[in-house]
Amino acid sequence: MGKKKRAKSKVFTYLVLIVCAAIWILPLVIALTKSFTINGFGNYAYVLSYKKISYFKVVFNSLFIGVTTAVVVTAITALAAFAFSKMKFPGSKIIYGMILACLAVPVAAVTSPLFATIKNLKLLDTHFGVILPLIAFNAPMMLLMIKNYFDTIPDELIESARIDGATTFCIWRKFMVPLSVPMIANVLVLTFIYSWNDYLVPLLVMRSEDNYTVTLAAQYFMSSTYQSPVDVARIYAVMILLALPSILVYLVSQKFLVSGITAGAVKG
Amino acid sequence: MNKTGKKSWIAYLYILPMIVLSFVLVYYCIIDTVVVSFTDWDGMTDVFHFVALKNYIKMFKDHVFWTSVVNNLIFFVGTVFIQALLGFVLAVLLKKKLPGSNVFKAIYFMPIAMATSIITAIFRIIMDPTNGALNQFLRAIHLNGFAVNWLGDPKIALVSVIIVNIFQWMGFSMITYYAGLMSLPDDVYEAAKIDGAGFWRTTFSVTLPMLKGTTNVLIILGIVGSLKTFDIVKLLTGGGPGRSTTVMNTYLYEKAFKDFNAGGAASIGVAILIIAMVMSFLQVKFGKED
Repeated sequence: MGKKKRAKSKVFTYLVLIVCAAIWILPLVIALTKSFTINGFGNYAYVLSYKKISYFKVVFNSLFIGVTTAVVVTAITALAAFAFSKMKFPGSKIIYGMILACLAVPVAAVTSPLFATIKNLKLLDTHFGVILPLIAFNAPMMLLMIKNYFDTIPDELIESARIDGATTFCIWRKFMVPLSVPMIANVLVLTFIYSWNDYLVPLLVMRSEDNYTVTLAAQYFMSSTYQSPVDVARIYAVMILLALPSILVYLVSQKFLVSGITAGAVKG
Repeated sequence: MNKTGKKSWIAYLYILPMIVLSFVLVYYCIIDTVVVSFTDWDGMTDVFHFVALKNYIKMFKDHVFWTSVVNNLIFFVGTVFIQALLGFVLAVLLKKKLPGSNVFKAIYFMPIAMATSIITAIFRIIMDPTNGALNQFLRAIHLNGFAVNWLGDPKIALVSVIIVNIFQWMGFSMITYYAGLMSLPDDVYEAAKIDGAGFWRTTFSVTLPMLKGTTNVLIILGIVGSLKTFDIVKLLTGGGPGRSTTVMNTYLYEKAFKDFNAGGAASIGVAILIIAMVMSFLQVKFGKED
């Protein structure tokens, strides 16, 4: 009886998991199979050789923006988290509180002032015009995650290093950062994915097709063609090609992305 | 460390890059939004006049604004509860760690790594009323009645947007519940087993109440997510048909960059900012309790 019941529950579990997985993978499967209809690989060749928007340039733009934002955000939040977690200084609580107050502030709520600022800084239609707001608005959440992690590193460890004559920066570099590698990897991957996927900031800042990111390029192809069956096949090929880099990053860094998102939610 | 106060200036060096690159821009934008909300600025030129509370009075009288608020609410409720329930059930099943569990987890979570811009493009084609794969499938299995105009019917469009949003973010609830489940002590389950409670009974009357903290966090993050909602609506329906899917952010964007009414847009921005800051506070508070 017990065995039979267990086997039954196993079948039920797999049934639910498989049905859901089928639903979740179906849109991608449809996109993939339809991308080969009519012209087969020709659809991909068409996209890769498209003159007005170069696939490789678009991927490069997103990669450059994503990597720069992720590296800068990780660096500045890891430095600031050290001060907020392990040092005492006047105003620390107020400043930290003010940063956390921005956790949930959406870029979309402040579009006009942001656009005017980027324009005044002469950064319209440049990579840094996108990178700067992405750093600014992603950093508060990442600071919270690293600071929470730093809090779990015992103060005694730092105290003893200090007695041994280590400088503050030395402690940061030789203790805090190496001891927090998992969380730092989380923040790196999470910021990269968020920046790569962002649509609003590039929409506000970028003008010329040469500077388009992956997200802008996807919409360009979506809106520029009349959707005949040939167009649909090509659009699907575009989407597969544009999704490919982030899916690869996801498969490689899945562990960090998953734990990063969990850390942000559970401790967040 | 640095408790002497003598060297506290060093701490400022560590927070300086974050202050310069994040704090200054974010707060400048917030304060400027508040200031602009009291003017008739067009967002482009340097000319503007002080108009006191005119933008706010207009906003409170504007039924489109209230439609967008209601849509945000529907979006939040629809997304969060279905997502949480589905995520919870899948997390419980995945926790059994049957062979292949990791593959399933990876599949459910993958849309989060994909850009909304790409997901919406795929769904717009799939949800096309005549040629879309969804309706072709429904007609093939003789469910013609369900083959509706997913994104073009004002009664259904918001539901479709919610469906796509759940598709993208369900993995988030799942993984959060999964992490919560892993942190629960085993002896609770032992005790429930001894009491003769079945699997689903244990799940809903023991496990779920113990994960109340996780649920709270998911609800708050759901409100935050709803407040941030912009691209999924803009790219799936553009806020239409009519005003049926307009949310606060897309309405704000329209006011700022189509009507060149930055002042009016800013007053909506201030409303969003106030809710967002309350939510930030709750997010940190509930996160700690968990």
